[in-house]
Amino acid sequence: MGNKLKYLIGVSLNKKIKTKWFAIVNIILVIVIIGLINIDSVINFFGGNFGGETKITVVDNTEQSFDIFAETLQTDSVFDDFDTSKIEVIKSDKTEEEEIDAIKDNKRIVIILNKDEEEVLTSKIIVESNIETILQQKIIAAINTTKSSLAMIETNIKIEDLMKINAPASIERIYLDETKTEASENMRLVMSVVFPIVILPFFMLIIILVQMLGAEINEEKTTRGMEIIISNVSPRTHFLSKIIASNIFVFLQGGILLFSGMIGLLIRRTTNKSGSLLPEGIDLNAIWEQLIESGFAEKMLYIIPLVILLLFLSFLAYSLLAGILASMTTSMEDYQQLQTPIIFISLAGYYLSMMAPLFEGSIFIRFISYIPFLSALLSPALLLIGQIGIIDITISVTTLLLLIYLMSTYGLKIYKVGILNYSTSKLWTKMYKAIKE
Amino acid sequence: MLKVENITKYYGPLKAVDNLSFTVNEGDIFGLLGVNGAGKTTTFRVIMGLLDDYLGTVTLDGEKIDYSVTDKIGFLTEERSLLTKLTVMEQAEYYGVLKGMTKEAVEKELDKWLKRFEIEEYKYRKIKELSKGNQQKVQFITAIINNPRLLILDEPFTGLDPLNVEMFKGVIKEFEKKGAIIIFSSHRMEHVELFCEKIVVLVEGRSVLEGRIKDIKRNFRKKNIFIKGNVEKEKLKAIEGVLSVVKKSDEYEVKITDEKYLDKVFKYVTKCNEVTKFIVEEPSLNEIFVAKVGEQYGE
Repeated sequence: MGNKLKYLIGVSLNKKIKTKWFAIVNIILVIVIIGLINIDSVINFFGGNFGGETKITVVDNTEQSFDIFAETLQTDSVFDDFDTSKIEVIKSDKTEEEEIDAIKDNKRIVIILNKDEEEVLTSKIIVESNIETILQQKIIAAINTTKSSLAMIETNIKIEDLMKINAPASIERIYLDETKTEASENMRLVMSVVFPIVILPFFMLIIILVQMLGAEINEEKTTRGMEIIISNVSPRTHFLSKIIASNIFVFLQGGILLFSGMIGLLIRRTTNKSGSLLPEGIDLNAIWEQLIESGFAEKMLYIIPLVILLLFLSFLAYSLLAGILASMTTSMEDYQQLQTPIIFISLAGYYLSMMAPLFEGSIFIRFISYIPFLSALLSPALLLIGQIGIIDITISVTTLLLLIYLMSTYGLKIYKVGILNYSTSKLWTKMYKAIKE
Repeated sequence: MLKVENITKYYGPLKAVDNLSFTVNEGDIFGLLGVNGAGKTTTFRVIMGLLDDYLGTVTLDGEKIDYSVTDKIGFLTEERSLLTKLTVMEQAEYYGVLKGMTKEAVEKELDKWLKRFEIEEYKYRKIKELSKGNQQKVQFITAIINNPRLLILDEPFTGLDPLNVEMFKGVIKEFEKKGAIIIFSSHRMEHVELFCEKIVVLVEGRSVLEGRIKDIKRNFRKKNIFIKGNVEKEKLKAIEGVLSVVKKSDEYEVKITDEKYLDKVFKYVTKCNEVTKFIVEEPSLNEIFVAKVGEQYGE
């Protein structure tokens, strides 16, 4: 029977993998994922100026503003993550009209700085087209700083005093709750950005798992092929083969997604100086260093295996449920109806996990994270942002194990009756009777 | 030998099979007959070990039928049991390996049977691309690919033209000669009559008629008489025991309710002129089937 199980797993996997559609879809997926991660480079490659080098020409009619403006623009700390190396600031010896004519030939930004008796400094930003919002804000900030500096110079304030005025205020954070640190705050910030991206593939894989398993069982059931199969292998072997094959497939598909993501990041690293996918203003390296110092990284040693275990068990639970439901239905249409609640449960888990940082201290959310199917996506999110601990995730794993045991024991009884049942009449009575026997 | 002893199977309150017993020896073709819903498929499912909540026993060569025995069984279902997205080769390999064969052995047997059924060119074609008749051939091949000791054929001639029916008959006869135990189900009584030595007729799960076809026919009291001569239809009809008189071409077919009325018809015919034919024939299996099943439904 072991050989037959192995053979059935092989057949089931081959049906999914050895198809031209599997190859085509995954080639497209790899290209799309790598493309999305490097979307700025892709846009740039096709002629855009997304993130490319920007030339700023300054026509300084004040005769004393250029140096202050250029230095401020290159060193301003308000937008830490903005790559200033992409900006080249040039002092122009041409007139405003001459520079406007030149813009049409060379795509760049022209800044006109004029002296003004009342406002100290007035300026114009002349561009051919739109410019990045961050760059625009940075230019405006630099012009304002230049204006302040000019005003202070005019009022005879010393350069040292001027630097003190412009320097950012020193802020010391003090946490009265010892369990809270700046690192955990940063982790929450990172998780709110990263987690929806990371968890999305898991959600997608659950949907793929549920639909694929149901379709395969239904295909065999809607012909009388199931009678031939079940007369040669036990329902247990058949059920097991479908569960194992679909889980192997999902892990394989997940591996391909992960691999594509890593390749995409690698390409980004080698082609893009900043490399970060996070929004401007978030310095991942600094946050990572803080996390290492706070001992959070050490916690990862047990968090990662627990999360992997939870996800593995959740996939198993979802596949068991999908297999049982598929055995009860008599057509693909029926199964699609029946799988809708599973999709909604999974969707609820996905949204709750995305909103996890908002629910700090919620007992209800903590309780929800123990519930199988929801725990798959919610518990890792809460664990990573520190809202639940190892005990909570152990409870989630235990309830999941219990459910898997119940579904394996009683679900198999339903499966045994269901796969050879071709009638929708008194379906639930039949299944209830099967469980009782 | 296949031995089915006192099997009873309920689906809820419905008794699908009611205390059914029969035996089939090696080299025998056994007919399991009945109208739709009579319990044939349930009986096949019990024999195949697909159902386990039934009363009674089923043994093949003295062994209870379980997964250690099913490799010796070939099963052709009435409905299509093919996975139409697979190629013929993949389908044969799927069912063959599940019956304990190696992939190499499956391919060897498949090549042999595809050649025999003249569909060699479809080996790597998807089943859904084949005609209904060719799909039936593939389904039949998957049932016999393991050279089964017990072969269950549920309506094997569905979707076949007369030429292909002959082809199937030839192969079934070969299995009979090889000593296979064959159970055959069909609504076409001429096929059953041709193949089977023994039959059982089911009505609502119960056996209403069983035994050797020869004995069944002999014991069936109604007879058919074919008369050619100068006889009067109305006078024939008036004879006691005459059920019907139908003129067919230049002769009359007279059906009598019991063999005992034969003499009365014969006495009348001897009085008539130019009588060149007086033949008494046993009724066809179809007539017996209709009569027996009709009796059960009170017709």
